[in-house]
Amino acid sequence: MIKFKNVNKWFGSLHVLNDINLQVSAGEVVVVCGPSGSGKSTLIRCINRLERIQKGELFVDGMPLHDSTINLTKLRAEIGFVFQQFHLYPHLSVLENVTLAPIHVRKMKKKEAEALAMEKLERVGLADKATAHPEQLSGGQQQRVAIARGLAMSPKILLFDEPTSALDPEMIGEVLAVMVKLAQEGMTMCVVTHEMGFARQVAHRVIFMDEGKIIETGKPDQFFDNPQSDRAAMFISKILKH
Amino acid sequence: MLEFFSFRTIWEYRSLFQEGLRNTFLISIVSLFLALIAGVLACAARLSGWRGLRGVSIAYIESIRSTPLLVQIYFLYFGLPTLGIRIPEIQTGILALMLNSGAYIAEIVRAGITSVPGGQIEAGISSGLSYFQRMRFIILPQALGVTVPPLLGQAITLVKDSALLSMISVVELTRSGQMLTSERFMPAEAFFTVALLYLVIYFFLKYLSGWSQKKLIFRET
Repeated sequence: MIKFKNVNKWFGSLHVLNDINLQVSAGEVVVVCGPSGSGKSTLIRCINRLERIQKGELFVDGMPLHDSTINLTKLRAEIGFVFQQFHLYPHLSVLENVTLAPIHVRKMKKKEAEALAMEKLERVGLADKATAHPEQLSGGQQQRVAIARGLAMSPKILLFDEPTSALDPEMIGEVLAVMVKLAQEGMTMCVVTHEMGFARQVAHRVIFMDEGKIIETGKPDQFFDNPQSDRAAMFISKILKH
Repeated sequence: MLEFFSFRTIWEYRSLFQEGLRNTFLISIVSLFLALIAGVLACAARLSGWRGLRGVSIAYIESIRSTPLLVQIYFLYFGLPTLGIRIPEIQTGILALMLNSGAYIAEIVRAGITSVPGGQIEAGISSGLSYFQRMRFIILPQALGVTVPPLLGQAITLVKDSALLSMISVVELTRSGQMLTSERFMPAEAFFTVALLYLVIYFFLKYLSGWSQKKLIFRET
């Protein structure tokens, strides 16, 4: 589904992605972790080309992202992206947030899109908030709406960039519960997160990055209980302290 | 002093003030409408990826903002005929106000658009919305809220600036005051009435501005 082949990227002189090789197959849940500035967000932002790679090859759903002639909007419609800061549209209601892309990208009828949106809102447990505006929701609720917005496009891949980092502790659980359900239903997911519980419960693989490189890859239990590299061991001991 | 103040003369000249008010109103509305178009186009050019277009837009905006409106009016009024372009005073005045306000409006609209957080644009991109769809459904509705109040401020400025058209003998409000003064030498009556009528227009626009501020501002929380 996703294939990085010797991918490199620089921000000025900073080597943010250093020879990345990674393959994610359909239905797989991959958790990416690492210290801040390690390139993990950049890695997943490359998958829907919010960031461009500069060297190497990147295939997503069979499309070569290193090729500038591909139909990007079509590709992006197949990939959901959930941001750390939610980025719901503040001028639209919850329902309109979810139906916007189905109506204008998928060209669905309004009625049809609304029925679909209600079904997705039901899945994240917020059907009763359909007429509310984002500002009336808590952070956790906003993030769940953002997930419903992604799901409404029936994406082949869902990308999460630190989806719980901006949330108060008591709201993290409700968002993770939705993500766990999606993972169990077989959604292909790449999740940048430090939530070990989530990783242990549903991730097939954990990828540890530092300084733009993939340092270690492993099954969650093996990675957290018995990291192979010193760098990963140090990182895990730090996040465990909290 | 007040016994010399002749309300009767003001009333006598009411048709002159009416004509002036009507012209000020019409000139302002038409200029503002055209300035909005010019401003949005200049702003689009200013934000475009094409360097040449951006250069033309910056040159236009900066040359207008760095020179007095009166000079621009004189340039068009006296300069255009020497270039072989002859248009009547009112149209020249409208052209000057349009070009002048257009430059300021371009910057107001640009500030509105760039005030929309980058994350909003990324969310739209990620949903597969095209550039124009993002503009129409995400960026412009949010930019509108922060743009309308300063736009109404610019509209107020434009109405007051239209007084300068009296310098090229357009019979607008200020000019009607001048005409009364030269016929009957009653500057107090003349310009008191003129000022009062500007005040009426001003409060109307200010009311709209306050209302729009309450209704149109949305912010990401």
